[in-house]
Amino acid sequence: MLNFLVQGIFTGLIFSLVALGYTLVYGVLRLINFAHSEVLMTGGFAGYFYLHYTIGNHSAPNNLWSSLYYIVTGVLVSGIAGTLVALIIERFAYRPLRRRNAPKLAYLISAIGASYFLLNLFGKEFGRYPEGTSQPFNDHVVTTIGGAQFTMYDFVILAASVILMIALDFVVSRTKMGRAIRAVAQDAETASLMGVNVNRTIGSTFALGGFMGGAAGFFVAINQGIAYGMGFKPALLAFTAAVLGGIGNVRGAMVGGVVLGIVMFTPIYWFHQPWLEEVIAFTVLVLILLFRPTGLLGERLGRSA
Amino acid sequence: MATALCGGLLLAVMTGPEGSITQPTYAVRESLFTAHVYGYIVFGLVVGLLLTYRAKVKNGSWRQIRSAPRRTLVDRAASVTLPARLVALGVTAVLSLFAGLLFADFSGPVAANKFSWHAFAHQFVFTRTYGYLALAIALWFTAANQITHLTRMRLRSLSRLQIVVGALIAILFFSLAADPFLPPRFALSSLNPVGKSSLFHHWTTYLWLGVGLVGVYSYLRKRDRLTGSTAPRRLQRVAVSPSMRMISYLGAGFIAIEAPKFLSLYWQISLYQQIGVYCLLAVGLNIVVGFAGLLDLGYVAFYALGAYVTAYFSGALPLQPPFHLNAFMVIPFAVVIAMLSGVLLGLPTLRLRGDYLAIVTLGFGEIIYVLANDWVQVTGGSPGTGSVSGFDINLLRIHYSWSPANPLSYYYLMIGVLIPVIFLFDLLNNSKVGRSWAAIREDEVAAQSLGINALKYKVMAFAMGASTAGVAGVFTAVKVGVLFPNTFVLQLSITILVLVIFGGMGSILGVLVGAVFLQWLPAYLTFHSYFGYQQTDLYLYIGALLVIMMIFRPQGLVPSRRRQREFADAESGQGSADALGPITQEMPQ
Repeated sequence: MLNFLVQGIFTGLIFSLVALGYTLVYGVLRLINFAHSEVLMTGGFAGYFYLHYTIGNHSAPNNLWSSLYYIVTGVLVSGIAGTLVALIIERFAYRPLRRRNAPKLAYLISAIGASYFLLNLFGKEFGRYPEGTSQPFNDHVVTTIGGAQFTMYDFVILAASVILMIALDFVVSRTKMGRAIRAVAQDAETASLMGVNVNRTIGSTFALGGFMGGAAGFFVAINQGIAYGMGFKPALLAFTAAVLGGIGNVRGAMVGGVVLGIVMFTPIYWFHQPWLEEVIAFTVLVLILLFRPTGLLGERLGRSA
Repeated sequence: MATALCGGLLLAVMTGPEGSITQPTYAVRESLFTAHVYGYIVFGLVVGLLLTYRAKVKNGSWRQIRSAPRRTLVDRAASVTLPARLVALGVTAVLSLFAGLLFADFSGPVAANKFSWHAFAHQFVFTRTYGYLALAIALWFTAANQITHLTRMRLRSLSRLQIVVGALIAILFFSLAADPFLPPRFALSSLNPVGKSSLFHHWTTYLWLGVGLVGVYSYLRKRDRLTGSTAPRRLQRVAVSPSMRMISYLGAGFIAIEAPKFLSLYWQISLYQQIGVYCLLAVGLNIVVGFAGLLDLGYVAFYALGAYVTAYFSGALPLQPPFHLNAFMVIPFAVVIAMLSGVLLGLPTLRLRGDYLAIVTLGFGEIIYVLANDWVQVTGGSPGTGSVSGFDINLLRIHYSWSPANPLSYYYLMIGVLIPVIFLFDLLNNSKVGRSWAAIREDEVAAQSLGINALKYKVMAFAMGASTAGVAGVFTAVKVGVLFPNTFVLQLSITILVLVIFGGMGSILGVLVGAVFLQWLPAYLTFHSYFGYQQTDLYLYIGALLVIMMIFRPQGLVPSRRRQREFADAESGQGSADALGPITQEMPQ
């Protein structure tokens, strides 16, 4: 029971990271970025190649400092790869449509097309079979509290996602870029009259979300290996998490991910059917839409963070 | 410019070989550092030039070279001199000849790999090729007629003769075609006494004779009326009289019924499995995407539901039904179940936001796949179901069962379903319901203030699309015989979406054209592998096609006039052209 709870919390942290990308873009553009799953996938592949060419087939380093070094640089590499892909998506699948003031439907279709294209391009170029990633640290059970096992991986994820989220929260609420993002989310037209470069702000929103998504991809790659379809499921669940926390609400996305993880994994203890987790998550999504459409913390369109 | 160049290089990578994770740069290297990449670079540059030209003209920094109003091809042909007109006639002749030969080629035996002259020449052994040539000549006659008519070349008496003779030839030809000496065909043999094989003993002869006579009669009447009228020329051409429309329907029906008899077995099977079922699916999704302006990414879930309901009622699932049902009887069940799940899914989602529907359906598609794949006690899981029983009729004295050995029988059944469905949806679109959909698409707030219950009509569209997919599921299950969960993946939903978008959302004709073309092309390329096409790359192209269509032509290739105007309006800031929720705030520019 407690084991499932712990698993839920730590998987939920990854959902939170991905959900941030959804919620930021939704806050600014009022659009579900369907191509976000491919940001995650790119992050995963970047992490794979980075670790493959640095650690290779050697066993994971035992030294704390070198482990830390690999994790930090890996997250950076994956995050930057995710940022690049998010920017490319924004440039080619969104900006031409925005210039024409296209209807929302066109954005959604173009985004799903871009996602599909990237997915299959990676499948074509890097093979269609899943592959394990070299490990930057020794994943072993550290402590056991009341029957729940805490592995090294859990702690790494906890630390990394907390740091990333605090950093993001700081960027969105304290910096000039964050203020521009919030201004555009509130009222793009007025913001542009006030001298905010709307196009660049939208780009930076995608970039921020892309960094988080790429970093999440790194952790997924370490844990489950990589495959060209690896982004789909976490991204779907992350969107659920974003809705659960209240879309457009950055802190909501963080909470939503963890709550979704708990809600998803704990019932498996009683049902013993691992595949049920997706069914549960999806039911949760429909139930939120039925009973509390604004999510746990309330949606904050135009008032991000 | 640089973008287009990159596009050309990307195309080279897209058509290049498959890579693997162990050699990550292999595929890119192979496709970029070989000679054929120059072709793609040139292609990219040309596209880039065209795009730049278009953009510059559009924003006015370059003056448009062609300042005259846009004229149609026929218009232009009408104004040119006689020699040029003869050239035009010659060109159309060559083009239609080529079309006929191409059609003959792809209906012929499967060529080994590439297009080969040997295989092409081999076509002429078959009588069928001459049939296509005859069709091509008839096509040319029509085109020539059109041109001579517009140029007031006084050939009316001759053209009347042409039509009559042509029709007679066509009737004779197709009557011969219906002759039972030709191998695969659909003769309700159980209804017919055996042994009557002569031309005039066959009922199809009289059917086609009647159709042909009615067609010729109404066409001639139409021409007389038009040439006698004083209406401006342009109006004469644009107005489509009911008889003309009737003729085109009859002609389409004629071709749809007769042409498949000449196709090779591979194409006869594809006609049903690859094209017919997908036409039905696309027409259903068109209601959701085209008519109601919603996005459904889990469309395949309802298709899967229909298929598994069929399997359930033929006892092919581990979970046994209380009674077994004939596949025809399953259709109402499939419709009801798909519709119910559509309502259950649509109601909570659409109440709030239209754009959530896309991701909720995406999730639903995944759930249905997971259930089919993992809930072994009920669905049989990934090894697949047992065998699904087929269609059969046992009514009074008529006994007929559809067997996989005769793919055309399935095809005719599909035609029999598809045509009523198309007419029904067309009627619906022109009724109060269709007008409500249009109103909601164009401006949801205004529509609601006029008393239109937006939620009701949205859920209605969603549920109707779902039930159509359910019917398509029944047809697939029966033909395939054994269901595997792997058939019902997200990729299929996207594929169907592409069929709708490519042809033109909201226009049934467009959707059908898109479905037939996009389903035919991969099936054709699979055996002719031009341009290094590999079947695994299909979805890569589909994704790219979606983005490109949305950027350059969101209304599709054969758009409905209303939808096209809506897109143009939305781009100039009026209305929304979709039903993804009321406009709360303008999109940032």
